Amino acid sequence: MQPIQLFEMASRQAEWLSVRQEVVAGNIANANTPKFKAKDITPFNSVLDRTHVPMARTNPAHFASNDLSDEVDIKPSELNEEIGVQESGNTVSLADELTKTGEIKRQYELSTGLVKSFHSMMLTLVKR
Amino acid sequence: MDPLSASLKIAGSGMEAQSTRLRIVSENIANARSTGDTPGADPYRRKTITFGAQLDKASGVDVVGVKKLGNDSSKFIEEYDPSHPAADAKGMVKLPNVNMLIEMADMREANRSYDANIQTIKQTRELIAATIDLLKAGQ
Repeated sequence: MQPIQLFEMASRQAEWLSVRQEVVAGNIANANTPKFKAKDITPFNSVLDRTHVPMARTNPAHFASNDLSDEVDIKPSELNEEIGVQESGNTVSLADELTKTGEIKRQYELSTGLVKSFHSMMLTLVKR
Repeated sequence: MDPLSASLKIAGSGMEAQSTRLRIVSENIANARSTGDTPGADPYRRKTITFGAQLDKASGVDVVGVKKLGNDSSKFIEEYDPSHPAADAKGMVKLPNVNMLIEMADMREANRSYDANIQTIKQTRELIAATIDLLKAGQ
């Protein structure tokens, strides 16, 4: 029987979404910081496409490779032409960032909802 | 530190920075007419505030903080009032270089940014709640 891949995938997406939430929180907090460039992370599909072989930890003192940190790049996001660069050199658009948090929340709820229903399906299988 | 707790921390630091900014704005507004008390003395000088990204060493998270509190070096406003204790030989009194319109706009912007940080905290809490809800799924 094939293992169910959904849980693996859902947890990867949840992790990706929470990294994105952190980046967006950073953008919002820095909305009035001079010369701050708004950031974003690599899209989920390109994270998913990249298969990677993690380095083995032969000693507990080795740094644990965070599942995602090697694959997710934080980079300056594209400049919003309508807002442009502010006088202070800041490129954060609050409206854009708030839209992003809404998007993150929607996707997160979708993926946790899926996990929930899969979980209850598996429970029906094993329950008396 | 996991990303969701980091988001809460970052948004919290943003709120702190914005409230410091509000404090500076209220100091400026409160002192908008604070003059000197000896002839020709300088009045209150408008304060400015700049933010900067800072690394929180305990958690390794990039937070925002107050980078510099400075003084606005623009010219003072002068008014003719010979009876004032701070009036110079020509009867001119120096008034603070505080522009109410600028202060009001600054205050509004600080409010908006504070609200945005609160939104981030709310959203992050909902994400955490959605995760915890997974535990309830089996019941």
